[in-house]
Amino acid sequence: MKAIEVTNLKKSFGAFQAVRDASFMADSGEVLGLLGPNGAGKSTTISMLSGLLMPTGGDASIMGHSVTKDPEAAKKSLGVVPQDVALYPDLSARENLVFWGKMYGLRGAGLSSRVDEVLEIIGLTDRQKDHVGRFSGGMKRRVNIGAALLHKPDVVIMDEPTVGIDPQSRRHILDNVKELNQQGMTVLYTTHYMEEAAELSHHIAIMDKGRVIAYGTHDALIKMIGEQTRIDLTLNAEAEKVLDAWRAIEGVAGIDATDGKVTALVDDSNRVLPRLFDAASKANVRITSVGIQEPNLETVFLHLTGRALRD
Amino acid sequence: MKIIDIAFKDLTRSFRSAFAIGMMVVAPLMLTGLIYFAFGSMTSGDVSMTAIKVGVVNADQLPPESVLDAPIGDNIRSMFFDESVESWITASDYPDETSARTAVDRQEIGVAVMIPQNFTERYLSGEQDVQVLIVSDPTLSIGPAVVEDMVTMMVDAVAGGGVAIQTVMERLEANGIQPDSSQFPSWIERYGNWYRDFQRDLFHHPDKAALVLVAPPAGDAQTTAPLAQMMGLTMAGQMIFFAFFTGGNSMMSILREEEEGTLARLFTTPTSRTSILTGKFMAVFLTVILQGLVLMVAGRLAFGIQWGSPGSVVLALIAQVVAASGLGILLISFVKSTKQGGPVLGGGLTILGMLGGLFTMNIPGGMPEAFNAIGNFIPQGWVLKGWRLALDGAAAGELLLPFMVTVAMGIVMFSIGVVMFRRRFA
Ligand SMILES: Nc1ncnc2c1ncn2[C@@H]1O[C@H](COP(=O)(O)OP(=O)(O)OP(=O)(O)O)[C@@H](O)[C@H]1O
Ligand SMILES: [Mg+2]
Repeated sequence: MKAIEVTNLKKSFGAFQAVRDASFMADSGEVLGLLGPNGAGKSTTISMLSGLLMPTGGDASIMGHSVTKDPEAAKKSLGVVPQDVALYPDLSARENLVFWGKMYGLRGAGLSSRVDEVLEIIGLTDRQKDHVGRFSGGMKRRVNIGAALLHKPDVVIMDEPTVGIDPQSRRHILDNVKELNQQGMTVLYTTHYMEEAAELSHHIAIMDKGRVIAYGTHDALIKMIGEQTRIDLTLNAEAEKVLDAWRAIEGVAGIDATDGKVTALVDDSNRVLPRLFDAASKANVRITSVGIQEPNLETVFLHLTGRALRD
Repeated sequence: MKIIDIAFKDLTRSFRSAFAIGMMVVAPLMLTGLIYFAFGSMTSGDVSMTAIKVGVVNADQLPPESVLDAPIGDNIRSMFFDESVESWITASDYPDETSARTAVDRQEIGVAVMIPQNFTERYLSGEQDVQVLIVSDPTLSIGPAVVEDMVTMMVDAVAGGGVAIQTVMERLEANGIQPDSSQFPSWIERYGNWYRDFQRDLFHHPDKAALVLVAPPAGDAQTTAPLAQMMGLTMAGQMIFFAFFTGGNSMMSILREEEEGTLARLFTTPTSRTSILTGKFMAVFLTVILQGLVLMVAGRLAFGIQWGSPGSVVLALIAQVVAASGLGILLISFVKSTKQGGPVLGGGLTILGMLGGLFTMNIPGGMPEAFNAIGNFIPQGWVLKGWRLALDGAAAGELLLPFMVTVAMGIVMFSIGVVMFRRRFA
């Protein structure tokens, strides 16, 4: 049995198809990264997994329980960390955790000692009596995660848990994820930061425009595009002046320009780079900076979609 | 069990909210207290309240081509300068925020009310964070709360009037009737005037209140305790008004939870949607019950009010709780967001309260028949009938009619509200 299994999941809002076709799976005890740009359909997919939205097509299961046919059982095996902090600002950290624990059916001494443990995990034992409304963004996000861990779920889903927080809290959260995973929890981790997906995940599903366009281990995804290297360029002029000339150069597999920044995907940077400069000179364009990036998930995304995976 | 957990959590949150407590308990007691003191000073001459010193900074202007003939800021300002409040509010103008804040720091004034530039334009355009700023002397407690409630009610009422006119327009147009837009200014003006007068009654014109008392009913030999009786009715009116407000405000927590994301989070837990909704409804009933009990005890202690025989008091209170919770749940089930909820509650309940006779029961000689007839269709009116009987010392049996009518109204409103909420969330 797979811990998470998503099969041809679909969701439309009226005529708009937010999720067109999503399939991926996670074995028990692994971290699955769901990577995609803004609006890719990640949160919509997660909402269907957590029983908030009814799929328009396909199905998904958590620990073998279908989210459409047996949602109660699926919810019991699942802890959900919503993308936006969902806590009661006028209750203390402890009161919040106690309340959410009760919603998962915990009571009495068992609940109280589990709350102590979770406070320890998220590093807020000292601040447990303070109202969540007075916490910093990073601390709120930690409580937001803690509230999903109380019932020791088999599967935890985290929707972009590190967006917009300080590096220290971010580190804390990433370490938490690894720790929980080592204890045997299966984690579905959504992000649009490719470094996070690369650091944490055993398998990665890349999502774009409502579709899962690639699924596999980090290394397998990189191999898929061969040995292509990414080159980032900044210009002193409009990229349009030279873009077509660059596209025609042999060894340029893809090229994309946004806000004066050009990103090219090339087979062999040593061979291609001088030609890029030649073409720029001919078009009277000056290259003001160059960056070379060995293959990574960013390059995979560029390769698959022709667009950069930028925030 | 989870139902109780959800209800208890809501109660905890209400009791931590200064606004909720202000509207639930402080405002009705304060308003009753003002009349009490006004009467006391008229009769004995030595009981008096220290006036609250309010500084007003009004930087609001009328936006170009506005249909209003004065900016909202002027209305808010005039509330504090109105002769109806001069016995307990001494107001003065300040040119800018700095000077007003300095005056608060020096304790020259207790509260500064600051109306920002272009308040009217920004407020009417639905801008989220435009608001009247209230700065108060931290050593004062009650005064600033009352001032804040006055500003909130005024602003909500203006917005409520705007919303109402807009809705009527849309309805008319949807039905193919072209409304005559040249009428707008006069409508808004009429509404504004009505509201100003109403405000005077709500924050009780002490002279008027005193007049009611000083003019004894003809052949008053049988009036045993006119003060206690009048206080009882006045307090009942305030209690009813704010009980309905509390019902709506407690139910509004579901919209707040929807906006805070905690409602969606609740739906991800293995808790049925029926349990979640039931917990929220239960919190509304419990809050209104608690509020009623607190106000009754406080009224007894502070003003010596004899609420009536135990049996009739229980019936009157149950009727109040069922009706106030039912109407609160019904009203909020039509509202999309907390931003809409404030004006709907403020405006809607004010109008219903007025029609139900909550602010006019001490008028000597009573109100015209036609007005009293309207009260027969208003839940507040029936709750008031119950309390009037209880306060007059009627036996429980005499309350059965108002009790049954009110509870029936409450149950109908509650049921419609439940259906609406289930359609929306379950
Ligand atoms: N309730 C809804 N009604 C209509 N459209 C919706 C609704 N929810 C989401 N969408 C649309 O579906 C698309 C996918 O949204 P979703 O929130 O799933 O993206 P995401 O990958 O989580 O993006 P982000 O990284 O910004 O969180 C977006 O275009 C969004 O506007
Ligand atoms: Mg999202």
